Amino acid sequence: MNNTEVITREGSAYDPTQDCKLVGAARALAGIRDSITIVHARPGCHCGVLLLRALGSNQNDIRIVSSGFRAQDMVYGAEGRLAASIRLSYKNFKPGLIAVLNCSAPAIMGDDVEGVVLSMKKEIPAEIFSLSTGGYEGPAWIGYEETLVELTRYMVPGKAERDKINLIGFKQDDLRSSADLLEIERILNSQGIMVNSVLTNSRFEAIKNAPNASLNIVLGGDGLESAKIMQERFDMPYVITPYPFGLNNSIDFLESVTTGLNREVNQEFITAEKDSIKERIARVFLFLQGIYDMSVAVIGDGCRAFDLAKFLSDELGLNVKVLAITSRNHITQDKNDGDYFETLLIEPDRFEMDNIIKSKGVGMIFGSSMEKKLAWELNVPLIRIFYPIIDEIAIFDAPYTGFRGTTHLTEKIINSVINNYTEV
Amino acid sequence: MEIGSENGRNDGFLRPLISAYSTLPLHGITAIPGKISGALMVANSIEDAVPLIHGPIGCAFQRKINPFRPFLPFYETPCTDMNDLEVVFGGEDKLSQGIKETYEKYHPSLIVVITTCASDLIGDDFKSVIEETKVKGDIDCDIIYTTGDFVGKTKPVGYQDALFAIVDQMLCNGMETKEIDKNDGSVNIITFPIHGAGLKTAEMVSVLSEMGIKINKICFDHTTVKDLYDLPKADLTITDYPMVWASLMKERFGVDHYEILAFDRYKETKDPELLSPYGIEGSTRIFMEIAQQLGKEGEAEEVIKRRKENAFVRLSKVKTGLEDKKVACMGGIHGIGMSMISDVGMKASVIIYKTQILESRLTTEAINDILDINVGLARKYGSDPEVLVNPTIEEEIKAIKEAGTDLVISMGANAHKYNKEGIRTFNSMQFTLHDQRIGFETPIELAIQLKKALKTPQRRNPLLSMLEYDSYRNTMIPEWAALADMFGTLREGATGDMVMYENACTTIEV
Repeated sequence: MNNTEVITREGSAYDPTQDCKLVGAARALAGIRDSITIVHARPGCHCGVLLLRALGSNQNDIRIVSSGFRAQDMVYGAEGRLAASIRLSYKNFKPGLIAVLNCSAPAIMGDDVEGVVLSMKKEIPAEIFSLSTGGYEGPAWIGYEETLVELTRYMVPGKAERDKINLIGFKQDDLRSSADLLEIERILNSQGIMVNSVLTNSRFEAIKNAPNASLNIVLGGDGLESAKIMQERFDMPYVITPYPFGLNNSIDFLESVTTGLNREVNQEFITAEKDSIKERIARVFLFLQGIYDMSVAVIGDGCRAFDLAKFLSDELGLNVKVLAITSRNHITQDKNDGDYFETLLIEPDRFEMDNIIKSKGVGMIFGSSMEKKLAWELNVPLIRIFYPIIDEIAIFDAPYTGFRGTTHLTEKIINSVINNYTEV
Repeated sequence: MEIGSENGRNDGFLRPLISAYSTLPLHGITAIPGKISGALMVANSIEDAVPLIHGPIGCAFQRKINPFRPFLPFYETPCTDMNDLEVVFGGEDKLSQGIKETYEKYHPSLIVVITTCASDLIGDDFKSVIEETKVKGDIDCDIIYTTGDFVGKTKPVGYQDALFAIVDQMLCNGMETKEIDKNDGSVNIITFPIHGAGLKTAEMVSVLSEMGIKINKICFDHTTVKDLYDLPKADLTITDYPMVWASLMKERFGVDHYEILAFDRYKETKDPELLSPYGIEGSTRIFMEIAQQLGKEGEAEEVIKRRKENAFVRLSKVKTGLEDKKVACMGGIHGIGMSMISDVGMKASVIIYKTQILESRLTTEAINDILDINVGLARKYGSDPEVLVNPTIEEEIKAIKEAGTDLVISMGANAHKYNKEGIRTFNSMQFTLHDQRIGFETPIELAIQLKKALKTPQRRNPLLSMLEYDSYRNTMIPEWAALADMFGTLREGATGDMVMYENACTTIEV
């Protein structure tokens, strides 16, 4: 039994720390590298999703298209416009998949989006599907789950190849995702394990062939529903692993995967990685001693924030005063009694969350761009880890995950403290 | 001298921060921000106001990203968390409760209720909910609502609509029947709350004050609800372009209005000067017209004469070395006008028009007018430029070189293309964002900056030149060009989009 305090939100006025279904779906689709996402909505939704993409580190890979929905379409419908958008999307990009996200206005009006998709399938030589993503239908993580489930409909049964895995729950638009994936692949490869498909960071064809793997790895619990369906349809087992932040989460990750594949862990590799971390930590041990016990707040999604908080607390010795889970997933409830944080906020109201964090005396915040003002008010560094990040880019292959990520994160944290100018 | 700039001004990180986001090809090119963003700009610009978005969480969270200022999100966006139950049974109770809780949490002077697709479509009666919530008596602040439907197709819809709602529902809420304690002979100066309204209006304030014209309020510059209540005290409201709420102020309170970009008068007279408010001549006209509306022509003439003489003396010194230098310019309403180029003694050698973006949003007549405006003004101010319409970058560079051009005044995003060819550039986007304003100082600042630009080291190997760009939309890589083409095609013919010049000006690029 620990002394963790769990606070959930109440009331009608909610300054949200999470987005709606549309963005969850768009994030999942962003990782299908030859897909086009059509936002069938009034201009604001399209603009918002496009901005989220354009202000990140994939500015040459947007693939977000509007259906051109206009004010007068609120009366007469925009099915014709949607058809035109599908045609133009194919003509301009030749995608493997076109996904139509049907948002609040057309969903309430009753646009026959399914009908448009069905008719366009005769004309367009690409897969097309639609998802209902009205903002009122739920939060982003539901949209993410539903999109991955939709993708399972296109998967074709195959012969499961030994020691090949799929990664589920990976988001291609997270900061440092490219480097993180390289690191995850590196540590898997060290065990003789190959990545078959990444849900999502693969071409559509590779996702269709996901059943060729022998195990699904569900990172931090995101995408669990799709793993369950794949287990049912293709007899593919799955394991839920920690998001590999830090040394021990990385080892747990490897052990979960190897156990799932009935393999022994290559301990030599782990020993070598530990030695490498040890050698680097030794170079800055005075600073690491110095920041030991620093109080911090972690504000992020349930898939990753628990595991980051665990690393910060357990390995760096920081006090996680507040862990705010901005969006949950199917296993969030199971993690509520962790002993590596003091106060746990579940999908909090931003106003209330900020007040709680302000009362805790934290010296650093781990969050998203949306915590910039709070960090400024508290005069503390903000380390951007969680989506959305619209004020930091990452184009160099320096991961936050895995063994290499452990040293990178440690470096980032120490520098964020000692870089500051002050007069005392 | 302060650290950070040659002329002693230390702008720190703010200018580079704003500039870093200034090349995003968004507004009307690949997307259009929705009404919520415009309304949030207004709510966010009133220090003691809080928005309440009546809709689902996405309408609040996603809109935190500010398309007008991507570097500065809207951090406070409470919403009513509308879900499928409210879509079926109505969201009025949740709105009422949301207003009460918003008041209790934030203690604002004004709550701006911003409706969304969902709450608009299900037919919630916003007006009645607000009235009934107020009647209960436990909310001691103003409450208004904005739907985007009050101002027709004026752009930006959300911004115009929220300002209209403030006048209609707050200022006119019994106030128009009371006697207003007028601030005689005073003006309100209203600018789009993007960056530094105070800085942008400082010289105007100085000139008008010298003419004996009082400044009633400057919005939006640390504006509070009390300041808004004081707006009807003025005799005249000065806005950048036509604003529906300013017309309502005239109708309800008798406060006249003046627009710096005089679209209506241009439509009647086709006088291109009416769309050229900057530089010495443009500013002279603006100040005189404002003074005329307030019966201060006499005072104005003397002040303007003195200010102009002072500006000419200083300009004659700083523009040494610029005389008869040749510049290539981008055509259009935005940017540095021909009168300013003339002020600094330079000549336009080439004018380059890119009409692709405009074609889906302006009438052919309006596009042709815009094409004519710059050429007409260039000739009026003593240049005889070669005109290129939708050239490829190769055609541009050939013409620019053949004309013996010294400097390209570009929007910044494609500067590297000219630099690589040995042609120096001046970033007009940065100048218009940070420095361009009504007044006599602007040409002097422009001259100083242009001289520096002519001395910048040659940059023959910019990394940006490694990328492949679209031939015509030459600031964009092919994927963005395709997105822009698609967006233009899909929006083509949208009712309300194909209006005239206003669209070219009121879709603000940041």
